[in-house]
Order: sequence, then C-alpha cells, then structure tokens
Amino acid sequence: MRIRPFEYYTAINQSDVLDKLAKYGPDTKVVAGGTDLVLAMKRKTILPRVVVSLHKVRELDFVREEDSRVCIGALTRHADLAMNTTLNDNFPILCEAVSLIGSWQIRNVATIGGNLCNASPAADSAPPLLALDARVVIASSEGEDEIPLSSFFTGPGATVLKSNQLLKEIVVERPKTRSAGCYLKLMRKKAGDLSLVGVAFQAETDQAGEKLARVAIGLGGVAPTPVRSPETEAMLTGLSYDEAIKEIPEAARAAVRATSPIADIRASADYRRTIVEIYVRRAAEKILGTLFNGEDIQK
Amino acid sequence: MKVRINVIVNGEKHHLEVKPNHTLVDVLREELSLTGTKKGCGSGKCGSCTVLMDGRPVNSCLILAPQADGREVVTIEGLAGREPHPLQKAFAEKGAIQCGYCAPGMILTAKALLDVNPNPQEEEIRFAIAGNLCRCTGYSKTVEAIRSCANSSRNNRPSAGRKAYA
Ligand SMILES: Cc1cc2nc3c(=O)[nH]c(=O)nc-3n(C[C@H](O)[C@H](O)[C@H](O)COP(=O)(O)OP(=O)(O)OC[C@H]3O[C@@H](n4cnc5c(N)ncnc54)[C@H](O)[C@@H]3O)c2cc1C
Ligand code: FES
Ligand code: FES
Repeated sequence: MRIRPFEYYTAINQSDVLDKLAKYGPDTKVVAGGTDLVLAMKRKTILPRVVVSLHKVRELDFVREEDSRVCIGALTRHADLAMNTTLNDNFPILCEAVSLIGSWQIRNVATIGGNLCNASPAADSAPPLLALDARVVIASSEGEDEIPLSSFFTGPGATVLKSNQLLKEIVVERPKTRSAGCYLKLMRKKAGDLSLVGVAFQAETDQAGEKLARVAIGLGGVAPTPVRSPETEAMLTGLSYDEAIKEIPEAARAAVRATSPIADIRASADYRRTIVEIYVRRAAEKILGTLFNGEDIQK
Repeated sequence: MKVRINVIVNGEKHHLEVKPNHTLVDVLREELSLTGTKKGCGSGKCGSCTVLMDGRPVNSCLILAPQADGREVVTIEGLAGREPHPLQKAFAEKGAIQCGYCAPGMILTAKALLDVNPNPQEEEIRFAIAGNLCRCTGYSKTVEAIRSCANSSRNNRPSAGRKAYA
C-alpha cells in the first residue's frame, strides 16, 4: 500500500495553516492524526496534491472552560478527551463515546476535529456532540464563523467546510440542571471496529428534579449523516419518571423513523433499525434510572 | 521532495531526510534498520507496528514520516538494557510468544500501560491491548505475562475498566 507522492508542509500555527490553505488551493488536505487521511491515501481514495500537517499547531489542542461553555480544540486527541476531568464532570457521554474509538494506538493520535471533518456517518464523537447541541467554530483567512454541528454534515464524507477552511474548535454549553447521558455502540467484535449503530442519549431534569426538561438523542451509522431523533425527544420531554418509563417503548419505536439505514456487507438495514429501537430503549431506561433514582449519579 | 526531520529513536538523536509519502514504520525499518517493528496490515488494525511516541503507543504505519519530527520514539530494540526487559522475560517464560510476530507491538503497549497504571487488572489489560492482534496465543498467556509484571500482581482491586487510562 504505497502512498503517491505529494508536496508536504508542516504548519507552525493556525494562521500559517490558513495561509497555506489559501495559497495551495483545492487539492490541499490538512492532516491531523492521519488515521483517516493516511489510510485513504494508501487506498488511493483521496489523492491530494499538497498535504499540510497540523501536528505542530499545539494551540488547537485544549479543553477550556469559558463561563457557561466548554471549548474543545479540534486537535485534541481522543485519549486525552476520554481522560479529561472537565469533560468527565460535564459531559461523560462524550468521554464514553470517544473511549470506544478504534484502539488505544488510534486514540493516541486521532483527533476529534479529524473525526468530525472526515464525516463518516458512523463517527463516534458525532452522536454525543449532536445530543449536546454542540456548535463548531470554522476559521479561514477571512475570519471565523460559529455554526451548529447539526448543519456541519452534508452527506457521507461531506461537510460544509470549503477548501480554505479549518475546523478550529467545538463548543458545548454546560448543562444547567442535573444531567446524564450514555453512548451505546454496536460493533461486530468487542473492540477496534467502527459503529454499525451508535446511540447517544442525553437528558436533563427540571430545577425541581421531577420532570425531564430536555431529552436529546443522537444516532450514528443509520443515515447519510449522524442525526437527531426529534420525534422521540418530544415524546419524552416534560414527562415525570413514571410517565416516561411507560412512554419509552413507543418513543424507541419512533426513533427508527429518524433513520434511513443502508444495507451493506456489515449489516442489513433491518438489523440496524432493530438495534436503534433496542438501544434507544436501553439507553433511556438507564438514564432515567440515573436521573431519578440516583443510580450512578453524574451530576 | 524530501523533508528534514529530527527524531530521537531509542535515546539516540537522528537527523534524517525522509520522503513525506513514507510512514514512520518505513523509516524505522528501511532507514534505521530497526526491523523489530513489524508491518502487518499497514492500516491501523493489527498493532504489529506499534511503537511508543512520546511515551504513548501508536501505529507507526499511519504516521507520515515527517510527522515524527521533534518526537521521541521507542521501538522494541530500545526496551532491553543489558538484560531483557522484565516484560520480555515474562512473555518468554509464560509462553506468551509463539510465532512472535505480535510480540514487539504487544510488549510496547504493555510497557505503556504499566507506565500509567502499574497494577492493571485483567479487564484493563485486555482493553489496553485490544489494538494488538495475536493469531497464535489466544491472549490468555499474554494477559498473564503482563499481569505478572504488575507491581503487586496479587493485589486485586476493582477494575476501572477503560476509565483507568484511555
Ligand atoms: C483501525 C481504525 C479504527 C478506527 N475506529 C474508529 C471508531 O471506532 N470510531 C470512529 O469514529 N472512527 C474510527 N476510526 C476513524 C478515525 O480514527 C477517526 O475518524 C479519527 O478521529 C480521525 O482523526 P484524525 O486526526 O486521525 O484525522 P485525519 O486523518 O488527520 O483527518 C481526517 C479528515 O479530516 C480533515 N481534517 C482533520 N482535521 C481537520 C481540521 N481541524 N479542519 C479541517 N479539516 C480537518 C483531513 O483533511 C481529513 O480529510 C478508525 C480508524 C482506524 C484506522
Ligand atoms: S501494520 Fe500498523 S497496525 Fe497493522
Ligand atoms: S504469537 Fe503469533 S501472532 Fe502473537
């Protein structure tokens, strides 16, 4: 698996990256951890003329608390995210999801920015971030723009990013009340596999801790892009524990309607749909237990 | 096009001119003749190319050669002092090596694990080595060998699972 020759540059900081992207034009690719790009270049599915490495752009490797929000630099690696205390305190769902990516070797180099920009429908960081209403900051030499992650993906392997743009950081609002979330991932083997289906379930209670004030579900691997399940979310929002427990089976069935899975060599579309229903149900039951019965309290 | 890099390999500084379309494993094996690092799948799945980069296990088949600039790399050749490393001894003694193809990578991952978690429980070991495939041993002896190098191999504490490190 030889890689075709290309022109190579190491960027030293963010503005250097943006200058180089502007200068070298559309056949240019940035490389972060390279776990997607280098493989694609070996397989010759992506053949860039110029590659700009980001490994020295340390300023985009951070997790920072800012008032009500937490900002995550695009070059932060999954291994560091999984162990980060701020993230584990506020959004354990994200830590859980990224700790299931690939292997330890992969998580030690692969970045969250690369995971999102590669835009696999099965990218494991996407469902939890969608469920957290994450926003992304996009930079180019002309300036910066912040958009919801939900409008970032445009199809399998495709995003709104233009060739002169860089994903700079991901921004997540801290939950205001008690919250809990979990990520369930279906793989063909116990580790080191992409998701066949990924279900992120995040919920918050009202101030009194009596009702569900917010329910958000992110689904991966079951549509051209990672998606939310607004119908299920609406069915559960506003309910008490007892009401929600009764509603879960119907709500889980509704989640399937947000999907349009493909059938491929790894699983049939029907199997993927069935798993969505089962995982949404399991995740909902687990999180309701956490929020209302104090099982395994997170916040 | 060639790119100049400075890299420390097994404690020794190297100034190299590398081709950007080569990966770190190519540089180690072909330029530095460190053939202990294996190249199996070439796609991040088998872990036989595992080396430590700044102390962490990584797949050297997915790292472009120039991305190693400024890093410190340890390969299996850098592990032993005058004596084999305790993990190397344990792997040999416990029968965790059959054909041996996975061993360089497996042992380096185990070393990195013990560096961050000196007393790993079985589940933690299995999670750490999930990216190192072995087609011979069935992993039981591998886990046993690693566990025997823990600083208190008889002290059983509850496993933190994958939360023990990432
Ligand atoms: C063996 C193996 C197992 C894997 N398992 C999983 C898994 O379980 N779950 C999962 O979700 N993924 C998995 N992956 C895929 C991959 O590891 C992740 O998607 C990873 O997060 C990609 O990050 P990276 O830094 O390596 O990206 P790179 O390969 O460096 O980049 C990926 C793409 O994004 C672009 N890019 C990167 N950073 C930016 C940026 N800041 N701004 C703009 N564009 C950017 C690049 O140009 C490239 O097109 C696996 C990969 C391998 C090889
Ligand atoms: S050769 Fe690198 S992981 Fe298989
Ligand atoms: S001993 Fe043969 S692959 Fe592990």
